[in-house]
Amino acid sequence: MRGEPIIEVDGLVKRYGQLVAVDAVSFVVNEGEIFGLLGPNGAGKTTTISVLSCLTPPTAGTAKIAGLDVTRNSLAARSKIGVVPQEIALYPTLTARDNLVFWGRMYGVPERTLAERIDELLSVVQLAERAGGRIDTFSGGMKRRINIAAGLIHRPDVLFLDEPTVGIDPQTRRSILDLVKDLNASGLTVLYTTHYLEEAEFLCDRVGIMDEGKMLAIGTRAELTTSIGATTSIDVRADGLDDSIVDWLSSLEQVTDVARDGDDLTINTTAEANLLPVIVERLAAGGAKVHSVDVKVPNLESVFLHLTGKSLRDEGDQDAAATKTNALHG
Amino acid sequence: MMKALHIAIKDLRIRIRDRNTLVLMLLLPIGLTAIIGFAFGGDSGISSIGVALVGPEDGDLLTNAAAGLLSQVELFDAEVTTEDEAREAVASGRKSAAIVLPEGLIDAVLEGAPAEIAVLQDPASGIKARIVETMVERFATSASAGGIVGRAIFDAVEAERPITEAERWQLTGWMFQWMYETWSEPAIAIEEAEAETRDVDVHSYFAPSFAVLFLLFTMLASAKTIHEERESGTYGRLMASPVGRSTFIAGKLMGSYALAAVQVLLLIVLGSLLFGIDWGSHPVAVIVMALVTAAGAASLAIVIASVARTARQTDNVGTAFILMMSLLGGSMWPIEQAPASFQNVARFTFNYWAHSGFKKLVFYDAGLAGISQEILIILAMSIVFFGASVLLLSRRQVLT
Ligand SMILES: Nc1ncnc2c1ncn2[C@@H]1O[C@H](COP(=O)(O)OP(=O)(O)OP(=O)(O)O)[C@@H](O)[C@H]1O
Ligand SMILES: [Mg+2]
Repeated sequence: MRGEPIIEVDGLVKRYGQLVAVDAVSFVVNEGEIFGLLGPNGAGKTTTISVLSCLTPPTAGTAKIAGLDVTRNSLAARSKIGVVPQEIALYPTLTARDNLVFWGRMYGVPERTLAERIDELLSVVQLAERAGGRIDTFSGGMKRRINIAAGLIHRPDVLFLDEPTVGIDPQTRRSILDLVKDLNASGLTVLYTTHYLEEAEFLCDRVGIMDEGKMLAIGTRAELTTSIGATTSIDVRADGLDDSIVDWLSSLEQVTDVARDGDDLTINTTAEANLLPVIVERLAAGGAKVHSVDVKVPNLESVFLHLTGKSLRDEGDQDAAATKTNALHG
Repeated sequence: MMKALHIAIKDLRIRIRDRNTLVLMLLLPIGLTAIIGFAFGGDSGISSIGVALVGPEDGDLLTNAAAGLLSQVELFDAEVTTEDEAREAVASGRKSAAIVLPEGLIDAVLEGAPAEIAVLQDPASGIKARIVETMVERFATSASAGGIVGRAIFDAVEAERPITEAERWQLTGWMFQWMYETWSEPAIAIEEAEAETRDVDVHSYFAPSFAVLFLLFTMLASAKTIHEERESGTYGRLMASPVGRSTFIAGKLMGSYALAAVQVLLLIVLGSLLFGIDWGSHPVAVIVMALVTAAGAASLAIVIASVARTARQTDNVGTAFILMMSLLGGSMWPIEQAPASFQNVARFTFNYWAHSGFKKLVFYDAGLAGISQEILIILAMSIVFFGASVLLLSRRQVLT
């Protein structure tokens, strides 16, 4: 973990009538982190973000931004955060620049630095040459990028990004993910919600897995996979394998399981990174000729499946399929 | 406060860049005024009013005298007909109105007995018919007065000696002459009566009506953005920024009001330029009336938006409400023709008072004092509506 805690959520509950949208959720995000909230539709991600952005009061529990309580110190807390809502919250008939000017003023950015700040942001999101274009003439990806820029106009300490890549093409998605990484590299703390596993894995230092309002687990990907006992499996195909190598592998502490079937060797291990070179070296020393090595790293999907008995990926794929069909019909 | 102002400026900027807004704000009211002007008389105002005159069976003398009287007023084009013909002429629109003189009118006047002169009106030729009606009302007043004087003379003479038939006719003739003179050139002119002779042209009548009607529609579109911002997420984003709900509401009110003021003032200027409307000789009164009307319309629309739950509902409920109120309050037709009971109901509408104020400016050349009642009533309405909407918007969970 890097810096000091900047978001502290403790026992957060949000009820809408009978429905418990967020159920006793606690987590901490440290300065400089990208923290992911991963969960399917209706998990309570947006609701959590809404409470943190002071949009809706919590039913119980506390949430603090940079030490400021979101209910008691709402106005001060709000100026610390940049919010990028799930929908494009911009004025479609105004130009990109006019939108940014407006949001800058709402955050009290001084007029003399505003224009400069906007130019800087427009080039960060690579839309400098479209500054004078109306938002409703922009593509989905361009709108999303201006939506993000609007959340950055006041140089916040923390940026909340609520599913910023829903419904856009893979290339634009990639550019947004890169943008988030770059912003983080320049020191911005990011709270990122998504129901795409790949995004959480690619982007986030730590991930909180949510489902039906509950926080099921929190940690780095490695921590999460180990916590459920998931192992990396290494498949090796090589000439000249013998049982001595199986015996040797079995004796290693990190190896949980070894099996050989002719030229195919399958190793399950809790530590993939440092083990692979050792195995390859040992095989070479023993005179075996390696044809291929295939490493299957356990991912958050297995963690989610383990925790909920449901698959997150199916839903994601359905989403993708739905988007494609829509594109065909649209 | 600065932030509220920026919200208002942003709203104005969005509105003014929107072509639909311009159509709604200026083109439609001006277009409709022009069309109505074409249909009912054109630029020159009212040049001539066709009147059918129906006399009693026994009263050719009276009928001819009345026709003579009417034809002395250039505005009227009188024609003596039977009652059936008159009805048909009015119904088909060939005549604006018909005057039906009852049996025994002279005797009734001389004896002080009640008599009724009926005025049949073509509903479509509103103002013209209204003018005829006013003339007849005034004639009836002079005639009643003349009757009283005549009877006094007869009584005085008869107390001394019997009156001969010749004297009787001579006296009656004098009386009619006197009635006509008091009618056509009243010795004591009340301001209203004098103003009646100002140019009553269709544009001057309808331009303010349509201005008020479309002002309400523009304001509805503007008030609706409260919901649109909520639905599009920009309101949420505002609430996640260091902007209070009250700042948002203040910004919306200011933006709406500014737009309303711009619209009314522009329509007044365009009315003069395009239709030659004479708004009277009290520019301050005109500006105050315009600004107060803007406040009334803006506040009314915001109240509708704060009662509604969605942008759509604001549109539907608001449109229905505005149309109803405009019908009732006379933004679409001259309600001066309606019975008094209807006009009493109309007094509860914003439109009624707005029209009343503009009519006094245009037709009676009223000053600030002359329209003070209208100004106070609309101001009171605005304060109540603005207050109610602020309460509704900040208390009710409209904005969550
Ligand atoms: N304003 C509200 N009123 C009532 N119920 C709500 C409200 N907002 C959210 N909910 C409910 O709370 C639950 C959590 O919703 P939330 O939007 O936080 O999920 P999410 O994780 O963001 O899902 P998604 O991936 O679809 O955006 C859902 O069941 C939703 O129906
Ligand atoms: Mg969500």
